Amino acid sequence: MVRRILSISANTFRETIRNKILYAILAFALFVIGMTFFLADLSVGDFARIIADVGLASIHVFGVIMAIFLGITLISNEVDRKTIYVILSKPVRRSEFILGKTLGLSFTLAITTLAMAAVLFLVHLGYQFGGRAEPGIFIASAGIYMELVLLTCLASLFSAFTTPVLSAIFTISLFLLGHLTNYLHAVGEQSKVAAVRWGSKALYFLLPNLENFNWKNEVAYGGLRSASVLGWAAGYLAFYAVCVLCLSCLLFARKDFK
Amino acid sequence: MTNRRRILVIEGLTKSFPAGFWRKPVRVLSDLSCDVYENEVVGFLGPNGAGKTTTIKILNRLAFADAGKATLFGEDVRDGKELRGRIGFMPEQPYFYEYLTAVEFLRLCGQLCGMARGETDSRSAKLLSRVGLEDARSMAIRKYSKGMMQRLGLAQALLHDPELVILDEPMSGLDPMGRMEVRNLIRELKTAGKTVFFSSHIISDVEVLCDRVIMLHKGEKVAEGRVEELIGSQILYIELVVSPVLAPGRLAEAGIPPGVGETQGDLLVLRAPGTREANGWMAGLLSAGCSIHSCLPVKKNLEEIFLERVGEGGVEGKSN
Repeated sequence: MVRRILSISANTFRETIRNKILYAILAFALFVIGMTFFLADLSVGDFARIIADVGLASIHVFGVIMAIFLGITLISNEVDRKTIYVILSKPVRRSEFILGKTLGLSFTLAITTLAMAAVLFLVHLGYQFGGRAEPGIFIASAGIYMELVLLTCLASLFSAFTTPVLSAIFTISLFLLGHLTNYLHAVGEQSKVAAVRWGSKALYFLLPNLENFNWKNEVAYGGLRSASVLGWAAGYLAFYAVCVLCLSCLLFARKDFK
Repeated sequence: MTNRRRILVIEGLTKSFPAGFWRKPVRVLSDLSCDVYENEVVGFLGPNGAGKTTTIKILNRLAFADAGKATLFGEDVRDGKELRGRIGFMPEQPYFYEYLTAVEFLRLCGQLCGMARGETDSRSAKLLSRVGLEDARSMAIRKYSKGMMQRLGLAQALLHDPELVILDEPMSGLDPMGRMEVRNLIRELKTAGKTVFFSSHIISDVEVLCDRVIMLHKGEKVAEGRVEELIGSQILYIELVVSPVLAPGRLAEAGIPPGVGETQGDLLVLRAPGTREANGWMAGLLSAGCSIHSCLPVKKNLEEIFLERVGEGGVEGKSN
């Protein structure tokens, strides 16, 4: 089972890493991150903080673009091009296919996120030459990466049963809502109507809470996250990703290919 | 036939697909039942839209039947992936990962089939050579022609040395040479003890290759049997080819009624309704100084049987 999943994920990695649009997005992202070096000079205040702040925001935005762009076509491309016919006719479970595809894309995103984080680290180091290096950039990037993995799982869920356009709409909606769940919960709690309070609470637990992975501010302000926060985020990712992937596998298990 | 093992058993297979805005179900297979025995070459014949591809998809778990059952090697097709290791499948107009080379793609297939790297590589080399892709083995698949894709499709279907080979329109997109090679390959598979189940709408290929034929039309089986059984023993007419071409008066003198022959260059082709007439005509023609070049009993061919069963107007439709 593991060998088949790894074979599919290696092939997915090979497929996504050869995507020219991915390179275009990555090149633009690296350019923007590099430009923060000059942006800092135009700012007032803590220059290094500006670099970390803008740089991490760039990694986040471009990472999300990559995850959604590649994730929404992860399964549907295989169905449209009928490459899935050959794969599923082999001794491969559909769940193994879904897991392999998601794992492969997650690996591609790990490489691109690491590349962006490394460039930001060097820019930061270059600006503060003679000063301190900021390892927090990698920690914050790890948080961003966890969010990207979760978005990939969600995109592959939608990709398993709907068109790329609808997948994109659903995934972007969940991305936006995922950063607002805390507010949604807080606003719901203020309501005098019990149904609204219960509804907001249900949505709070049901929707992905992507703020769990957001440590950009702490890094920008020079603080580092404790291991327990990292562990909690990793646990949350593992739990939510397993739930989403199980749902994907369930929906995909009985899908007819016309 | 009955003492041989049944490899594939289809019982009452029924399938509909939703279509249109309201997703109204459209029936594409209706109560299909048929068998395939060990070491048989069985042709699945039908016009576009007959339900051939849908049946093959159900056998390969790419679609699920609404009703009925299909078993392969005695196991339900929906069960266990282990069954897949005994089956080789080539889809219609196969398409592969275009960024891979043939060798890389076959390596991926080998990994998915649980084959060792060495075994995959040696089988790949052998099969690529067999299907005529030896020189293109390191070329990216995106550069392949339709015929080359088809050949690679055959190679991947045979990579893990399956007992049953299911091919969906294996001749489609191939030039005459390619078609002949595929025919030879199917014959080789039979000689090697494999069972082959393939769909086609090229009747001549089915006629020369298959032990048995299953004819499908609008999702329903319209005929099943050995090619000889379907064609039958009934002789339609006896064709005589003679020369020189005689004038109508001399033909009448030889006892040949008008309207039974036609001129083809220097030859006269006559159609005698039966053996007695053919014997009489030959005697008359010989005494009129003619040479008889051939005398052949003509039976119905599979194409005529097929058109008879599905109706000449029934060969249009959308591929499914």
